[in-house]
Amino acid sequence: MSSFRYPLRWRLMDALERAADLLWPERLSRFTGWLMIAPALLLVGLLVLGLAEMADGSLRTLDRATFLPSEELSLANYETALGSATYWRVFGRSILGATLATALTLALAFPYAYALVRVPGAVTRKALLVVLFLPFFIGQVVRAYGWLIILGNGGMVNEALGLVGIAPQRLLFNFPAVVFGLVQYLLPFAVLMLAPALTAIPAETETAARSLGASWVRTIWHVVLPMARPGLIGAGLVTMTLALTDFATPAMLGGGSQDFIANAIYDQFFRTADQGLGSALALMLVAAGSAIVALVLGLFGAGTLAMGARR
Amino acid sequence: MTTAGQRLAIWSLVWISILILSAPTVVVLGASVTSGNMIAFPPEGFSLKWYQKIAMARDLRQAFGRSLVVATVCTLVALPVGTLAGIALSRYRLRFANALQVYLLLPFTVPLIGSGIGLMLVFGEWRGLGSLWPVGVACAVINLPFLVWSVSSSATLLDPDLEHAAANCGAGRVQTFLHVTLPAVMPGVITGSLLMFILAMNEFLVSLLLTDARTVTLPVQIYNSIRSIITPDLAAVSVVFIVIAGAAIAALDRLVGLEIFLKSK
Repeated sequence: MSSFRYPLRWRLMDALERAADLLWPERLSRFTGWLMIAPALLLVGLLVLGLAEMADGSLRTLDRATFLPSEELSLANYETALGSATYWRVFGRSILGATLATALTLALAFPYAYALVRVPGAVTRKALLVVLFLPFFIGQVVRAYGWLIILGNGGMVNEALGLVGIAPQRLLFNFPAVVFGLVQYLLPFAVLMLAPALTAIPAETETAARSLGASWVRTIWHVVLPMARPGLIGAGLVTMTLALTDFATPAMLGGGSQDFIANAIYDQFFRTADQGLGSALALMLVAAGSAIVALVLGLFGAGTLAMGARR
Repeated sequence: MTTAGQRLAIWSLVWISILILSAPTVVVLGASVTSGNMIAFPPEGFSLKWYQKIAMARDLRQAFGRSLVVATVCTLVALPVGTLAGIALSRYRLRFANALQVYLLLPFTVPLIGSGIGLMLVFGEWRGLGSLWPVGVACAVINLPFLVWSVSSSATLLDPDLEHAAANCGAGRVQTFLHVTLPAVMPGVITGSLLMFILAMNEFLVSLLLTDARTVTLPVQIYNSIRSIITPDLAAVSVVFIVIAGAAIAALDRLVGLEIFLKSK
């Protein structure tokens, strides 16, 4: 009598099923969803742990004599931060820079997204998408390096100006350079958030407005823009948050003289080594960012934004 | 429909965007093959000597290797975690689903400088700083929503009856998961993992916070060098990033199609 053996795959699968039944019996299946989401909750928990560490640190002032954080807790760091003219100036610069960058980004992103959605040729659309994704995937450092080559004192623009006899201009390490760098950084985010909103507007509504006698400008102003408003507000708030909290652009294109909030926080940790004050500043920035996001969630609901926020 | 004037208006703005988006890439590519010593305009002839130079430079090669390790760790950590979470969010009826989504979006809502410093404190407490795995794990944390989002958007497309049918035909829970659920979410898993890898490869701020002089990754290495003097060998290194980005876009386009990002939900 020959002994029949099931194929290995089957036996393996049966073993796996038995192991699953042993480890997670059928009666627990109500909680299977929770089991699957638990690792993600733990991983994001690291971030929450970090915020808690910062909250603890922000309540301890730095003892200038021993350079150790104090044992007793107080709100002194927050008072220092809120009472400092330097930080208010940095904060004002960040807000102004972020607002300008957001306005310029939206002004460029809207026509780009519109062309992307309405262009008839598939090849053109793909080319526009590749142009959009390439800088997004290259990273901020390499992009900033490109701008240093183009705009630097001995850079391409100044060399070209020199050829026609114009003295070199200082194009970098000033406020406009940072805003310009932010626009370049934010443009892909804004277009990728606007494009789905514009896809949702049928081309026929524009045709209808036109056939009723509206000029093209009026069609855009009174039909397309209002219908795209959720997308515009979403894109605007996301770009605003990213610009407000950016570190790399002010650091590289601002050359140390155009610090934003993130740079000030970094300096507190790595130059002054005052972790308490740095933590207090960082938590206030987290609060400001969360307030903006809460606004988005309030306007659109968690479901619509969920998992697509930065896309 | 549109007249020539309108097309001109739109396309001139689009061309400004194209110029702003592409100028750094083009210039870096050009600068990397210059035969001169400094970045100059007009370029001084063609040579590959800077590529030779970076191939010899040990610190750059090591930094590149570290970036690859960080990106691999990040993808390996995030892949199972994010895939399971994405499936759970879209296929199971969890209580407090909205609160869970808000919680899982924390990595996006907390500014990068805040999450970076928080993670730095946590890993510092655990004596993890100075090795590479914390950087990879940190990148997994801050970019996790990308993966969860792309998996859950493919998982919602799967008809639950297919899973019931598999169970009806005698498949156990593991078998149903491996042969029905997992293949259905594969496009989302691929898109998400590709994003995780490329974003971890490029991650600058979190790397800057979590690395020290012995463990710098390539973006931090470039950042440190830029601040001293700008030579074309950095351009040659940057081309490495451009090539990787190009390859990722090509892969993304072949596997799922770039047009997926234009769809309205």
